[in-house]
Amino acid sequence: MQYPEPIAKLIESYMKLPGIGGKTATRLAFFTIDMDEDDVTDFAKSLISAKRDLHYCSICGNITEEDPCQICSDPSRDQTKVIVVEEPKDVMSLEKMKEYHGLYHVLHGVLSPIEGKGPEDINITSLLTRLQTHPDMQEVIIATNATPEGEATSMYLSRLIKPAGIKVTRLAHGLAVGSDIEYADEMTLFKAIEGRTEI
Amino acid sequence: MYLESLTLRDYRNYEDLNVSFSPAINILLGENAQGKTNLLEAIYVLSMTRSHRTNNDKELIKWDKTAAIIQGRVNKQLGTVPLEIQVNSKGKKAKVNHLEQAKLSQYIGQFNVILFAPEDLALVKGAPAVRRRFVDMEFGQINARYLYNLGQYRTILKQRNQYLKQLQHKKNQDLVFLDVLSDQLAAFGAEIVHQRLIFLKQLEFWANQLQEEITQSAETLTFEYATHLEDAADQTIEQLYAQLQNDLKKATKKEIFQGTTLAGPHRDDVRFLINGKNVQTYGSQGQQRTTALSVKLAEIELMKEETGEYPVLLLDDVLSELDDMRQTHLLKTIQNKVQTFLTTPNLSGIARTLINEPKIFHINQGNLLEEEEHTVD
Ligand SMILES: Nc1ncnc2c1ncn2[C@@H]1O[C@H](COP(=O)(O)OP(=O)(O)OP(=O)(O)O)[C@@H](O)[C@H]1O
Ligand SMILES: [Mg+2]
Ligand SMILES: [Zn+2]
Repeated sequence: MQYPEPIAKLIESYMKLPGIGGKTATRLAFFTIDMDEDDVTDFAKSLISAKRDLHYCSICGNITEEDPCQICSDPSRDQTKVIVVEEPKDVMSLEKMKEYHGLYHVLHGVLSPIEGKGPEDINITSLLTRLQTHPDMQEVIIATNATPEGEATSMYLSRLIKPAGIKVTRLAHGLAVGSDIEYADEMTLFKAIEGRTEI
Repeated sequence: MYLESLTLRDYRNYEDLNVSFSPAINILLGENAQGKTNLLEAIYVLSMTRSHRTNNDKELIKWDKTAAIIQGRVNKQLGTVPLEIQVNSKGKKAKVNHLEQAKLSQYIGQFNVILFAPEDLALVKGAPAVRRRFVDMEFGQINARYLYNLGQYRTILKQRNQYLKQLQHKKNQDLVFLDVLSDQLAAFGAEIVHQRLIFLKQLEFWANQLQEEITQSAETLTFEYATHLEDAADQTIEQLYAQLQNDLKKATKKEIFQGTTLAGPHRDDVRFLINGKNVQTYGSQGQQRTTALSVKLAEIELMKEETGEYPVLLLDDVLSELDDMRQTHLLKTIQNKVQTFLTTPNLSGIARTLINEPKIFHINQGNLLEEEEHTVD
């Protein structure tokens, strides 16, 4: 038996989401039919609005409703520092900390030839332009992940930026706060020891 | 350390197996295609999270089933550790003490095994890749840092090779990024070479001792690490790094042309020399066999030295292939200290008098029957 077309289409749509296969999509589709009509309408509206009303900030690449984004257009933020991250969600995490008041730059990925991402495929050119046109920028803090690709991206950026006399720093990697040394794996411990600081 | 017990569920031709082993010698006896190698393989997977004979984990799942489970209790100096590997169509999970490990590299090293199969004669005769694999698998088991370096190196190598291929078609080539990849590769490559040299020196010591015993001091066994790096053995990591960087730089044009990385430890080799002559080219069959045996058995002592415990030895169909003198040496090496599993179609050809009270299991189509005593499920 074939599913009626509206259901079949809904299943197909769910399957476009990452990590969702046929089984889960079917379950979600049938769950959706049983939902309140209002909830379904809200859901559909949020989907469309997320797509229509959100853009990438033309300066930093973060997701935003207005362009430039709130952070880029806030003159009270420290204009001398920029943190470079892989994804918009990294900006969210760093903002939650409420301790950092500088700017951000979102690369939308890391350098990874295997995934077809070379220097021209991630948001690097706009970072360089930004540094060139903002002479008061003093420090670029690179916060890519501690993967080989994250490290390569960090090293690459540092080669391009350092010659311009701008300070380049890298976020320290090591033990998670509140984590027990006893339970850390050997490489985390090793990295933490390597990156130790004087007190 | 030793394996106290093993449980297999829907693994290869085993449906539901529950068995306790002797901490000394276990003999797995059976006709062809009954599941002897499968059982050794299960023990190997429990140690290394992967099979020694296939890269496709799904082959481990019993036909028509969806998931295979291997559980074992490993007795170590500090107590007993339950280990578990689960394989299903989506991937695999590794658990230590019932806790799933986020990374397989965190799991490896809990339970160390050394496997010796007839194919291992290729260790001496085979292509360089066979020896590199041996070196990487064995050193990776005893040193977490080595395993980490190797993982990073392989990822970077893949990225770099891909980038070299992409550069072939590009008009404006970004050589800065290639440079970054070269530096990264050189950094991990230098550490790998350095560690390999240290471990090989230790391994050489034990291997030579055995070789001298087996040959009554007629033969001295030495190792030579074959690499494009000059004086590698006398260099610091920093010097090796600088050399590797330099070699990569010199090769750039050719590398882009060929689309592959031409310098680094992934191209190195190990040579075994008897009285200064390469066994691969000049050794007799017997010498090659003795060398392979000495190198493998030396691993036992190296692991003991590095981890504080003897590994478990898995011998697949090799004992009967060795003459009495070599069998004697092998058994002397493992006696009273190394838990051993050995498979054989029959007990003739095996110097049984040398084996103290082995536990003997008859294997028949995925079922185990313990000799003389009770039936094992
Ligand atoms: N995934 C699987 N599911 C079910 N049976 C399997 C699976 N993989 C292999 N087998 C069976 O296991 C048998 C091979 O077992 P194994 O390699 O352990 O034999 P063996 O006892 O070591 O024999 P030999 O003495 O010839 O080396 C094959 O006959 C095959 O039918
Ligand atoms: Mg076999
Ligand atoms: Zn912005």
